[in-house]
Amino acid sequence: MSKPRNNYWLAPVLVIAGVVLVGMAFLLGFVNPVEAAIQLPPEQGPDNTDCLSCHQNPDQTMLFPSREELSITILPAIYGGSAHKNLACQSCHTDISGYPHPENNVELYRYYALQYQDTCKNCHPNQYVEIQDSVHSNLFEQGNLNAPICSDCHDPHSQPVTAKDAEGKPAYTEHAAIANTCGDCHSGIYNQYRQSVHGEGVFVNKNPDVPSCTDCHGVHTIVDPTTAQFRLSSPNMCGDCHTDETIMGKYGLSTDVLSTYVADFHGTTVTLFQKQEPDQMVNMPVCYDCHGIHDIRRSDDPEYGLQIQDNLLVTCQKCHPDATANFPASWLSHYIPSKEKYPLVYYVELVYKILIPTVLGAMVLYVLTDIYRKVMNRRKVKPALVAEVVQQSQPQEAQVPPDVPETPETTEEKAKEE
Amino acid sequence: MAHAEKQYHRFSVAQRIEHLVLILSFSTLGLTGLIQKYAQSGISQALIQFLGGIESTRIIHRVAAVIFVLGAVYHFIVVGYKLFVERRKATMLPGIKDVKDGIGMIGYNVGLRKDRPRMGRYNFTEKVEYWAMMWGLVLMGLTGFMLWNPIATTNILPGQFIPAAKVAHGMEAVLAVLAILIWHFYNVHIKKWNWSMIKGKLSHEEMEEEHAGELDEIERGEAGRIAPLADIRKRRNIFIPLAVVFALVCLFAIYQFVTYEETALTTIAPSASEDAPVFSVPTAVPEALPSSESNGNVQPGFHDGDIGKVNPGNFRDDLSLLAIAPLGELMTRV
Repeated sequence: MSKPRNNYWLAPVLVIAGVVLVGMAFLLGFVNPVEAAIQLPPEQGPDNTDCLSCHQNPDQTMLFPSREELSITILPAIYGGSAHKNLACQSCHTDISGYPHPENNVELYRYYALQYQDTCKNCHPNQYVEIQDSVHSNLFEQGNLNAPICSDCHDPHSQPVTAKDAEGKPAYTEHAAIANTCGDCHSGIYNQYRQSVHGEGVFVNKNPDVPSCTDCHGVHTIVDPTTAQFRLSSPNMCGDCHTDETIMGKYGLSTDVLSTYVADFHGTTVTLFQKQEPDQMVNMPVCYDCHGIHDIRRSDDPEYGLQIQDNLLVTCQKCHPDATANFPASWLSHYIPSKEKYPLVYYVELVYKILIPTVLGAMVLYVLTDIYRKVMNRRKVKPALVAEVVQQSQPQEAQVPPDVPETPETTEEKAKEE
Repeated sequence: MAHAEKQYHRFSVAQRIEHLVLILSFSTLGLTGLIQKYAQSGISQALIQFLGGIESTRIIHRVAAVIFVLGAVYHFIVVGYKLFVERRKATMLPGIKDVKDGIGMIGYNVGLRKDRPRMGRYNFTEKVEYWAMMWGLVLMGLTGFMLWNPIATTNILPGQFIPAAKVAHGMEAVLAVLAILIWHFYNVHIKKWNWSMIKGKLSHEEMEEEHAGELDEIERGEAGRIAPLADIRKRRNIFIPLAVVFALVCLFAIYQFVTYEETALTTIAPSASEDAPVFSVPTAVPEALPSSESNGNVQPGFHDGDIGKVNPGNFRDDLSLLAIAPLGELMTRV
């Protein structure tokens, strides 16, 4: 009787255990969805010879009714260097199984590209999730069909595997390629960025420390940079690198930039809004209002640097149009006041650092002597309380007439009584 | 009435109201100011939120500042009347006697003296407070003006004065608030609750302790002596017009103070156009509707190495289609 019963509960438990185990395997990364999708053993390579027999020929094109002409030549040398080299053509081009290909009467190249919009998520589900709230996906959902989809940034036939750093972000060796990709559409920003201190580091010096587009905007989760949230949290974004002693030390840059900003009027306001009203657009400046968004220059840049007071004045006047030559010096330029830098501020602070303890210390000392007197007076009274009262009541009633002032002696005793 | 129970008039109703206004404006200034100075602390942020955010905290601080300064203007006029019209004794002026009284009180407290010094209408603890308040009024008023109107200030003074004023304003505030908490609260509340600013009177005992000198004067009938009525009337006719002019000048100055410059309070938003992203979409930017003859213009061989790139040179003006066609419809068509 009891054995079959055991079997009844065993089955669902096993199913649940199986599901949990598979789920955990996914979570722990045992099963990589990208690899799972590859159906062909890598050493053998995909059998794309049939497709390539035509498509490796040069000048293969496809003409859309719009008269757009799409190159459909796939050079094995380029495809073989791509991240997808081990994928069969059919993995993505699922509708094509032979020749002649099924008819595709799409009018525009863009519509043709959009047909493959959801193909990538079969192998890259995480990235597909990441793009859902991105500014590009939002634009697309608003009906802008030119908003980028996966293949606009990642050419599926040619893009090699992206090198990653220890944190899983694109390695610095990819920085130039990333900027070039974004620059395909954002050409104005691209040109500004190339001239900036960061862009110069990426394109000229191959510097691993400078940010490319994705370091500030995110890789796939690219948020709208015009929102209040982005603006209010941006000082922390810049601060991520600019408060890092190991990075900034190399270039002799101050890591006090964030704390000095927050200590000042502008930064205090921005920080408070970020914490209390993150959706409220605030016109107080954040880092990029003074230093530039994409055209950030060195602060000692001879032409644009903010160390040059005239440049700083122009920057101040963006918000304070009436500001005159002395005005920029009212901002401490991220310095902590010292004898050399902003001595007036330093000495005012010093004077108060001496004045406050001196004045308050003197007050406390006086108050302590007064408390001491009160305690002592009370102590004296207690043991001889009865005697004192008797002694006191007699002279008061007997000797002091109503309208004559009390003698010092009697007041003295009264004080003691207290 | 027994002598010990006699009450001595100390502050008029007007003085008590003045003091109440000072309490309210000073406390508001201290509270809304210190939470701005220490804005990163949790308590400050909770209070700022309670007051409706940092912007409204700043507005409250400025309103309180104006009330504080108005109170000061009133005070100066009243003091002027008492000193120059009524020719009362300037009992608040500090002198050598106050130093002696201070030393005497310490001596009494530590047991070097048997009796307290006989102090006047305003003893040295009160004079310290009054003149500290005067010093604070001038310093906080000046530095406050500089912080309120930084552009006007830097038209005259070097820029460094603004952060220096900010440091002085904040540190002076700490000094003032702590001084009130230590000195004023101890002397009139903790040591013994002093009712004179509420009920207006002090008992004989209290007078004896703190204003024995004044008590002696009262007994001699010398206290609160004012000039003959005829003289007062004569001088009042001069004083009142002067006071009115003074008040008007002060009111005008305060009005200027409040409205002097706009941009420090409500800055101009940075222009959006300047930094707007510049897009150049490489694909669908058709310029004109190509005619049927333009078919011949299709460029072959556009694809040297650029797999999948599109020749954007020639295609039909289908921008309207792109912009309008809903995605669903598009997909079914596809």
